[in-house]
Order: sequence, then C-alpha cells, then structure tokens
Amino acid sequence: MWEVASRAGIWPRFLFPSPTEVLQTLAEGFADRTFVFGVLASLRRIFLGYAISLLLGVLLGLAISRNRLIAETLGSLILGLQTLPSICWLPLALLWFGLNESAIVFVVVMGALLSITSATESGIKNAPPLLIKAGQNMGATGGRLLIEVVVPAALPSILSGMKQGWSFAWRSLMAGELLYGSVGLGNLLTVGRELNDMSQVVAVMLIIVVIGLAADYLVFSRLERTMRRRWGFEAS
Amino acid sequence: MNGRRVTFGGTQPPPQEMPTHSDLEPEPTSSQSLLTDRRSFSQAVVIAPPNPVAAPESKLTLRNVCKNFHTKTGKFNAVQDINVEVQAGEFLCIVGPSGCGKSTLLNIIAGLEKPDEGQALVNGRPIVGPGTDRVVIFQELALFPWLTVLKNVEFGLRMKGVGKREREEKALHFLKMVHLTRFSRCYVHELSGGMKQRVALARALAIDPEILLMDEPFAALDAQTRDILHEELQEIWAATRKTIVFVTHNVREAACLGDRVLVFSTHPGRIKREIEIRYARPRRLEDPNLVAFSKSIVAELKAEVEKVAQEELDYDWRTGEKKPVLRPRDHDVGSGI
Ligand SMILES: Nc1ncnc2c1ncn2[C@@H]1O[C@H](COP(=O)(O)OP(=O)(O)OP(=O)(O)O)[C@@H](O)[C@H]1O
Ligand SMILES: [Mg+2]
Repeated sequence: MWEVASRAGIWPRFLFPSPTEVLQTLAEGFADRTFVFGVLASLRRIFLGYAISLLLGVLLGLAISRNRLIAETLGSLILGLQTLPSICWLPLALLWFGLNESAIVFVVVMGALLSITSATESGIKNAPPLLIKAGQNMGATGGRLLIEVVVPAALPSILSGMKQGWSFAWRSLMAGELLYGSVGLGNLLTVGRELNDMSQVVAVMLIIVVIGLAADYLVFSRLERTMRRRWGFEAS
Repeated sequence: MNGRRVTFGGTQPPPQEMPTHSDLEPEPTSSQSLLTDRRSFSQAVVIAPPNPVAAPESKLTLRNVCKNFHTKTGKFNAVQDINVEVQAGEFLCIVGPSGCGKSTLLNIIAGLEKPDEGQALVNGRPIVGPGTDRVVIFQELALFPWLTVLKNVEFGLRMKGVGKREREEKALHFLKMVHLTRFSRCYVHELSGGMKQRVALARALAIDPEILLMDEPFAALDAQTRDILHEELQEIWAATRKTIVFVTHNVREAACLGDRVLVFSTHPGRIKREIEIRYARPRRLEDPNLVAFSKSIVAELKAEVEKVAQEELDYDWRTGEKKPVLRPRDHDVGSGI
C-alpha cells in the first residue's frame, strides 16, 4: 500500500519515499558502514546511560524507602522532577559537561533514573511485611535482608520501572542526538533532513523503532514474563 | 495465676479409670473434684507456681505480657496478662477462638513484636529481637515466591553462612522428611496448600532452632497427610527434643500433640485454662480417650465463641439453639423405609 501510494505520485518523491527506496538506503547505509557506526554510537550511549541510571535509581530508591529524612527531601523533589521531560536537562548538561558525550549520557541517565527510582521505592514500600518478617526470623539482617528479601520482594515493581525507564532513556537519547551533532542515529536523522534525503530519514526512523522494540521484547518483556511465571502471576 | 491448671491422665492410668466426660466438665466445682480425685496419682494436679520467677531450666518465660494495637477505633487489647513457663523440650499447645491473640503471642516470642507490658524471656534472657533460636512457621507460611522449594529450605542455612554443598544436603534431608524431594526444583506457586505447609515446616527445621513456633501449621491439610505429619512431628520432637509452641484451632490436635494445652479466652486474649496431658506417646488423633477429653475443652471453647458472637450480634445468640433448617417434606425422610 505504502509502495502504491508513493508511486501514485500524489506527493513529490523526495517527501514520500517508496519502501524499495528505503530498503535500498538501508542496504547502502549498512554497506558503507554509516548506519553501523550510528547504531553502535547510539547503543554505546544508551547502555552506558542506562546502566548508570539503573544502579543509581535502585540505590536512590533504597535510600528513599529506608530513610525518612531522605524521603522527605529527595522524595518530593523526584516527584516534581518527573514531570520534566528529560531533554530539558540538555542545556544544564551542556553547561556542566560542555558539548560532549557526557552531556548526552547525562540526559539519558536523567531519562531513566526517575522512573527506576520511584518504582524501586514503591516496590519496597509495598513489599509484603510478612515476607520481611520471615526473612528476619530466619536470620537475615541489615544489608543481607535488603538484598535477599526486600529487593526480590520489590522485583515486580522494579522491573516495570526498568521497562518504563528504558523507553524514556531511548527517547531522550534520540532527542539529545537530534540536537547535538555527533555520530549517532539522531544525527543521521538530522543529516537526512539537511540533505533533503527523505528515504534516509525514514530508514533511520525504522532502525530506531526496531531497536526500541527489540530491547522491549528480547530483554524486558522476557524478564517480566520469567518473573511472572516464577511467582505464579500467570500460567506457564 | 491465670487459669486453672488441670491434669489429664497419670503416668500409667488404668484404662477403666480414664476420666469420663463429667470428670472434665469445665465448671469450677467439677474441676475441684477432679483435683481431689486425682490426688491419689503421684503428680495428678499441678498447681501453677505462685511466684512465676524464671526457673533456671525454663526455656521460655512470659511474665504479665500485654499487647495493645492502636486502631482507628482506639486501643485494642489483643493479649492481656499472659504468664507462661515453658520447659526445655516441652510441647505446648495453644487453642483459642479466632482473634484471641495466638499469632500475636507467637510474634512476641519470635521477637517480631514487642510486648507493651511485661517481659518475654528465653533461657532467662529478655527477647530483644528476632533470632534463629526461635523460628516461626507463619500461619500464612511466608514462603519466598522468587525461590525454588529447595532454595527456600536453604535460606536460613545460607544466612548462617553454611557452605553450598552442606546446605543442599541438609535441605534435601528435610525435604525428604516431608516427602517433597520430587518438587525441590519447583517454585512455590506450583505447590498445593498442604505441600506449601510442608515446605514451611522443612524450612523451619533446617534452621535447627531451639524453639519451634508453629501457627496452625496443619490447618490446610487433608486428614491423611495431617496424620502422617502428626506422627512425624512427634518423632522429630522426640528425636531432637525441641521446645515446641503449637497454635491450633483443632482441640483434638492440641490434645494429641501437647504435653500441656493452654485454652485462651478472647477480648482480651487471656489464658483461661491450662491442662496438662500425661498420656502415653505416640498418640493418635482418633484415640477414644483423647476424643472424650477434647470434648470438654471444646465445650469451653464454644462458650468463648458464643461470647464473641454475642458481642458481635448484640443479642442472645447461642450456638446450641440453632435448629437445622428443614423443609416440610424433609420430616418424611426415611418414613417409607
Ligand atoms: N497489626 C495489627 N493491628 C491491629 N490489630 C491487630 C493487628 N494484629 C492483630 N490485631 C488484632 O489482634 C487480635 C489478635 O490477632 P491474632 O492474629 O493474634 O489472632 P489469632 O488468635 O491468631 O487468630 P486466628 O486464630 O484467627 O489466627 C485480633 O483481634 C486482631 O484484630
Ligand atoms: Mg493466628
């Protein structure tokens, strides 16, 4: 249909490329490695940023749920900041880090951090007190109790926070790369637009969607399914 | 002291002299007569010591323990003025109507709740928090859904720092004891209610506590499995000489398992009566003497349940006065035979 609509020539070709053109662009892009480098650069940033925000987010969530003082100060701040689209951190990041990788990674971190933090916090708050009692009763104390009982009990919530955090992180990365020109998928979009090469724009959009979906299906949905099956939330 | 203390059975009671039902009526007069009747046996009636100072061999001591919960409707007195001494190796059963504070009391002993008044001592030392010398099998079981059956049983050992090999060996040993080795790799939700209860039992035994606190552990089991586990529990108890505090709704179960039965009254939860059971082991649930004996406890409990229902329904409600609802033609059932 897409092919037919495009060939019908209702819109000029350069504004509405046909799938064959897009496929061709994709093949060429991967052949001359421009797309490969773009994908790799973006993946590197997202992995780095996401790993940092996962670590920080879980730690921050733990801290907030364990400590009243931190909860009252940081907790409400985080709730407020969650309404802020993470790309709004870019100007601040540029001032702090300068125009470089760190600024973009920072934006990615901010994209995922708050979802993971608040999911961890609520997961721990809602962890069944009975299971915690059972853990204490069997000799788990302090950090051991936290890692072996409290965090696993909060896992369903943490996982859904991780999933949401991933999609926020991916979006902020693309937004960041669009605004800041260095190798990456967002940058390829900008280049495509500047060259009026619509098929490149569509091709890159396709790649972005595919990577986003792949992460969701291959990592997060799979993790979630394993967890749900183990816990008996759904039939195997 | 709280409650009257009576003894059922002697060291070697001649069968024809087993107490009849009327011997065990809960009225003070008959209990008094039981008291005198039984003087002939060496240690027939044990009056609770007037001064509940922790004897050195006393494993567990509760002294004037009170626990209140603060609810929206005000202060709720869950248990009041509980005085108990449990000797090392004793099997103590607690029966009482729902909501009389049995689980609360176990939580206090486990160190998971603090009494508002009074003292709880283990080996003469105050209980300050949870410890692996006192392990609870929770009423709601509290198995970890993220671990397999085997890992659940290993949990306490892992916390103790026992090595992987030894841990697994021990866990399998206790799983074998409750006939669940086949399910060791399953997750908890894949088990039936009774199997979960057995996992909880294995998990507690693996920790090897001095005191085992069991909160209605066999409530969801079928009669056959329960019989098997009764036997096994008695065997384990005889072999390990653990001190056991066992909470149940089932009076016969209490009479069958316990060296001593505490009957609780409710609102507030207090010890209403204390019955010592000196009867040869192993005991069986269907033993006619135990059945007859438990009837008298049941009568007492029924009075308690009625009390709760009356408070709740606010009129003279009695369990005894209920007639089965019959349709007119039900009266004819059997007339043509
Ligand atoms: N955390 C709590 N907050 C308020 N009230 C509580 C709490 N825990 C228990 N109670 C009250 O204390 C009373 C005793 O509860 P408990 O669980 O000890 O009863 P129980 O004897 O174990 O009953 P059952 O046989 O039904 O398990 C109940 O009336 C209950 O409403
Ligand atoms: Mg209970």
